[in-house]
Amino acid sequence: MRSSVSYILSSSTTEPNMSHPDYEQYSHDHAALLILIRHIGSQLKPKTYNKFYDRISKLSTVKITDSSGQVRNIYVRYVKEYPVENNDWGDFQTHRRLLGLISIGKYDSQLELNEICRVHESLKVKYTSTLYDSRCILLKPNEVQSPGETSADESNKSSPDSDVIKDDDSSPYDSSSGDNLKSSSSTDDRSSVEKSAEDARKEKVEKLLEKLREEKTPDSKFTTPSNFKSRALFYAETEACDDLEQQLTEYVNSLFWVLESKRLEKSREKLERVSLLLAPFEKKDFVGLDMESRNNKKRCTGRVTKHLGDLCLQAGLLPESLTYYSNAAEILKSVNDWLWLGAAYEGLCAASALILYPNIQRTLPLHRNASLQEGSPKRTSISTTTNPDLTNPKKDVLNILTPEDIPKRYREAIIHYSKYQNAGIIETEASFKAARISVDQNYSLQAASFLQNVVFINITLSEQEKTQRFEMLSDLYTQIGFARKAAFCHRLAASRYVSAQNPTPNWSQCYNLMLQSFPGHKLSLDPTEMCTSPHQMGWPSLQIHLLTELVVAAKRMGHSALATRHQTFMLQTMWDHLTPTDQKELAIQLQSLSAQCEGAPVPLVLDNGVVIPPANLSNIPVCSGFTLKNLQPHLQPRKIQMAKQDIGPFLFTPINFGSLERKSNKPQSKMDFLWVENDLCEVTLKLVNPLPFELKVSNMRLLTAGVVFESIPETVILPSETPTSLTLNGTPKESGELELLGYSTHTLGVKSNCRLRFMKNFLPHYSIEVIPSLPVMEVKTSLPQSATFSTFQNFENVVTSASISLYNGESTECIITLTNTSQVAIEMLEVSIQSILEPNLQEQIFSWDAEEIQKQLPIVPNSSATINVRLYSAANFLASGFSGPELSSGVFGSSHAGSISLSMSAGPSSLPSRLNSPISHQSTMGGSFHSRRNDLNSSFRSSNSGQSSMTTQGCRSPGVLALPQHAASSVVEGQLQFRYSGGTGLLAGYCRSCSVFITLEMMPSLQVTNWDVLPAETSSQFYLVLDIANLTSQEMELHYTSSKHMLIEGHESCRIPVPVDRCPLSKLTKLYMENGIDERLDLDKICSDHIANLVDLRWQLSAIDTNGKATLKGITLTPNMLDIVRMSPLNWDVSINGDAVKPQEALSCEAGDCLEVSVKIGNSLEKALRHLSMSVQFYQDHQNGVCNYRLENRLATTGLSRVLVPTLEPQTSAEHNCNVLFFTPGQYKMDIQVAAPECVSATASISGHVWRFIPPVEINVSL
Amino acid sequence: MAICVAIIGKDNSPKYFACSNPDDEINLQYKVLSSLDVIEEKLNTANKVTDFRELFLGTLYSLESHKIYGYVTNTKIKFIIVVDSTNTALRDNEIRSMFRKIHSIYADNICNPFHIPGEPITSKSFHDKATSIMFGTV
Repeated sequence: MRSSVSYILSSSTTEPNMSHPDYEQYSHDHAALLILIRHIGSQLKPKTYNKFYDRISKLSTVKITDSSGQVRNIYVRYVKEYPVENNDWGDFQTHRRLLGLISIGKYDSQLELNEICRVHESLKVKYTSTLYDSRCILLKPNEVQSPGETSADESNKSSPDSDVIKDDDSSPYDSSSGDNLKSSSSTDDRSSVEKSAEDARKEKVEKLLEKLREEKTPDSKFTTPSNFKSRALFYAETEACDDLEQQLTEYVNSLFWVLESKRLEKSREKLERVSLLLAPFEKKDFVGLDMESRNNKKRCTGRVTKHLGDLCLQAGLLPESLTYYSNAAEILKSVNDWLWLGAAYEGLCAASALILYPNIQRTLPLHRNASLQEGSPKRTSISTTTNPDLTNPKKDVLNILTPEDIPKRYREAIIHYSKYQNAGIIETEASFKAARISVDQNYSLQAASFLQNVVFINITLSEQEKTQRFEMLSDLYTQIGFARKAAFCHRLAASRYVSAQNPTPNWSQCYNLMLQSFPGHKLSLDPTEMCTSPHQMGWPSLQIHLLTELVVAAKRMGHSALATRHQTFMLQTMWDHLTPTDQKELAIQLQSLSAQCEGAPVPLVLDNGVVIPPANLSNIPVCSGFTLKNLQPHLQPRKIQMAKQDIGPFLFTPINFGSLERKSNKPQSKMDFLWVENDLCEVTLKLVNPLPFELKVSNMRLLTAGVVFESIPETVILPSETPTSLTLNGTPKESGELELLGYSTHTLGVKSNCRLRFMKNFLPHYSIEVIPSLPVMEVKTSLPQSATFSTFQNFENVVTSASISLYNGESTECIITLTNTSQVAIEMLEVSIQSILEPNLQEQIFSWDAEEIQKQLPIVPNSSATINVRLYSAANFLASGFSGPELSSGVFGSSHAGSISLSMSAGPSSLPSRLNSPISHQSTMGGSFHSRRNDLNSSFRSSNSGQSSMTTQGCRSPGVLALPQHAASSVVEGQLQFRYSGGTGLLAGYCRSCSVFITLEMMPSLQVTNWDVLPAETSSQFYLVLDIANLTSQEMELHYTSSKHMLIEGHESCRIPVPVDRCPLSKLTKLYMENGIDERLDLDKICSDHIANLVDLRWQLSAIDTNGKATLKGITLTPNMLDIVRMSPLNWDVSINGDAVKPQEALSCEAGDCLEVSVKIGNSLEKALRHLSMSVQFYQDHQNGVCNYRLENRLATTGLSRVLVPTLEPQTSAEHNCNVLFFTPGQYKMDIQVAAPECVSATASISGHVWRFIPPVEINVSL
Repeated sequence: MAICVAIIGKDNSPKYFACSNPDDEINLQYKVLSSLDVIEEKLNTANKVTDFRELFLGTLYSLESHKIYGYVTNTKIKFIIVVDSTNTALRDNEIRSMFRKIHSIYADNICNPFHIPGEPITSKSFHDKATSIMFGTV
């Protein structure tokens, strides 16, 4: 755009130069009256001044009706400062002339008032060449003012004043008189002030009195000095200043009329005779030139015409100004007066723009520091800013430029300006103005090219002005939506503030501008925004560069907290884009920065209101796992009452519902377990230190929401690049829903709150239910702990264990001490045992007194309770073993596997019928064992005679009795489970459960390998003969009755007879009365229970001082045995030859003797027995298992050997008599039996049963 | 000879950046980044009218020391070439042909099945080709 003939037309000498560019100019300002508003005096607060300034600047246009009745729209522009040098360009462009002055001051005393007036007057002198009129706003002291009256007075007074002045102004104001006034005043102004300063006190009173008398004085107390010739407006600082606008309008009016008079004066001048108007730097160029040349004449004319255009434009006569401008352009073009031609073009553009877009407004107070409007959208198109209805007719105005032409003309003007080095500022300003027009026209590229041109203009500027230029550029770039370019300019401006050439580097300005360049580089100060939005794709290398610069700026600014913050931010957000060495260096840098000021996760607020959000280092260290831990199993709360789980009609379905499955795969933020108030809870973190050096992370805590949570700080030192897991602990202090949001760290001197929400691969938060507090119980046992425990269900609950070895039948007590270690009393305690044993057996082995436990409740904090658990080594002492399922192989099997077959076949005759499973065993081994059993039995029987001896001392027959081969011990395991609760947790329905694992080794003590029953001497008793094996290695003392005992060597066995009362009928009556189906089993059971209850086998191992008790529970009996065991329902009364037969007593007679046998049976049952058949039979026992019943030729009987008793009523008896005669001597036996017929009797229980008279009567027949 | 070649993705994130003087890279990046504004503006306004086959955008900026040229593919991938402003040997036509070459090597690179679309270009052969275009040796 710039002319290639740059500078050729301007001299290189340093001329009076306009060195202060006004970057904020709009093209509309060409038409504005320039008024300076100055702050004078020290009393006035800047805030008040700004308030006044803002209020005054609202009045930007004034409509004035001129003498011809036409309404003129007069624009006003207010500035706070105006360099006098710029005033010198007033001939070149009249809008550069300062026309008005409003000074604002506040005074408290006369002295101050005088001073203010003096300053005002001196300001007037400063701009005297162009100033038309001035006003001085004086703020009265508040305290001296009597409110209401004075203010009312004042407004009343001032309004007539203005009226008067208006009248004056209606005639063209004589500017020269004003000038005179000022010049005269200015000379004695200083002296007067000096004088007043000298003897102010003396004069003050006088003056006061004097002025008080004068009606015109606006203030009752203070007066302006006599040399103060300006119009003063008195206001109180607090009052509303209602008439300020009115006063201002009047003031603008006055200015307008002066201007209008000047314009008329100029327009009346003869164009041929005008003097040459010059731009300040041109003065030398025309020295010595022929001013009378035709060319120069034209030049003069052109310039004046242009000048008139300027005046018309200011005076609100737009069409006229357009005409002047276009004429001037024509003339100036012909004489190659480029500078002025450019000005004419610019004027043309300004006037056209004013017509086309009258509504372009300066964006009011430009707080550029806080200008974060970078993000604001582009300016809306023209159509919204201008009213099309208005523009269309205006297009008919003569010489007006079309919207497209305006930038073109501007471009030409700029090119013309660029030919003059000294017009650099004009050119710059023109560029800005052109850019603004383009912005409003929405021609972004055009605006950009104008702005780009600004950079090329080479003018000597102060650093501050250079910076301002960049700021303004970036502002305009922002307006056209060139955010990146704006950011670029911001950064340049920032670097200007601290450049080496700048004598007063301003780091805080630099910092602020740097911040403003962030949006253009897609940098947000909020790290969460940076990390979460993937669309913010900035240029990482630039962002890193910017951030580094920003950190430096912050540091140099002396705000180390900011430096730390930005460094943290850079590490956090730019981590992925940094090289490993950079990462390390930046981390170390951060460490040194934070040594000055620690980083904390709080927003920083800058002085200008910018908030720097906290930056958290969540990637140093990297967290790769965040897991909430359930409480330890024994501390986990459980529902006291389990709600029934509705699992639907199907226990298991093989159908997988795809949708359901997907749902279940999703990680849940809500934990399915519970935490307990006041209990230590754990969260496990997996941390990785990405830095190449060891990293110390201290003060790690959990961040929570919801209920109060006390987190315990942790410190960890992380080695480089090694995943480390860390447990963070804390205690919830309330019950309710707890949310875990993340964790906080303190590393590299920076405190960070790492929230899961902002971290990748995590749920935004985890929540967990905290239930009210529950007690904690410590459990100890008196027994030693077991070394190992087997896998068991709910094994995790186990807090302690106890193990003990017991011989079968031995019992011991285990004292369990429960100590309440919490602050909550235990109010509920339930004890239960869990094992895989059958409930019955379990009860036998483990028992305790539940009531005793309940009595000890509640257990207050720090006290304890004890529970005595009785452990009993319950075992089957009978070799046959409990039938299968009750004690499975796991417990007893191993010890009995070998013995089963033995006991089975070697056992009593009743066994095979009862245990029918291993029949094959019997069949294979039957032969050999049968004979043995018979041996056994026979020996018993044969030694019947010697039974008395046996009963007293027992007998040892180790050779005969078989010992079980494998006498291994077995192990029983059980869990003693405690469920306890208390306090608020109990009310909420929760409890805890813990358990003690008890291992009980059961060692074999004694075993009954075989048994049989024998009738005793009395019919009320029988002998239970037991083969007892001592399975221990010690000598065992066995007490089998209250008085009798015997010693058994280790691994020996012996046979003992135990006298037992027969099972009384009373226990059996029920059986006989009812039609039980399993009557046999029931009978067995009753009898075996009867035996088990009565037989009391106590053993003692004296060597190791243990004792125990063996039971015969579950002993099985054959029907034959049963008959012996139970009392017969029939009373037998057998007499031979009138003598009653005694048991175990043999009768003797001689062959040929006739014996009379009388049998009387009585029914001791409570019901009648029917169809009994009683028979008497003789036989010879060969003592080898063979009985000879065929005795026809050895004896003869008279009478019936068999009679039928149709009915035997209860408590009645039936008698039968018969005689027997033995022919040959020998030993005979008489078998008397009563049989109940099969299927005849209604009572099935007795059907087919045969009762015998036991023992059979023996008769020895001798010759 | 160009000073710098840059490829910018459709989301305006850098895909490839090469310059003759590595020390100057940051400054050039700033300049290239700010020239994206012009590209966007040109695309916004001009696209409706102009021929779609014309991918060359011409001069984006002529700065004191550099001239920045732009080229946009139909998929909004931007190629930028920075030329020293004192270098008068390179005219529009040369720049155009450079852009076309870059476009073709870019297309070749994109065809590589191992290239992930949207990722910065790290291929060494591409870099070699691009620098040779930049230095005008091809």
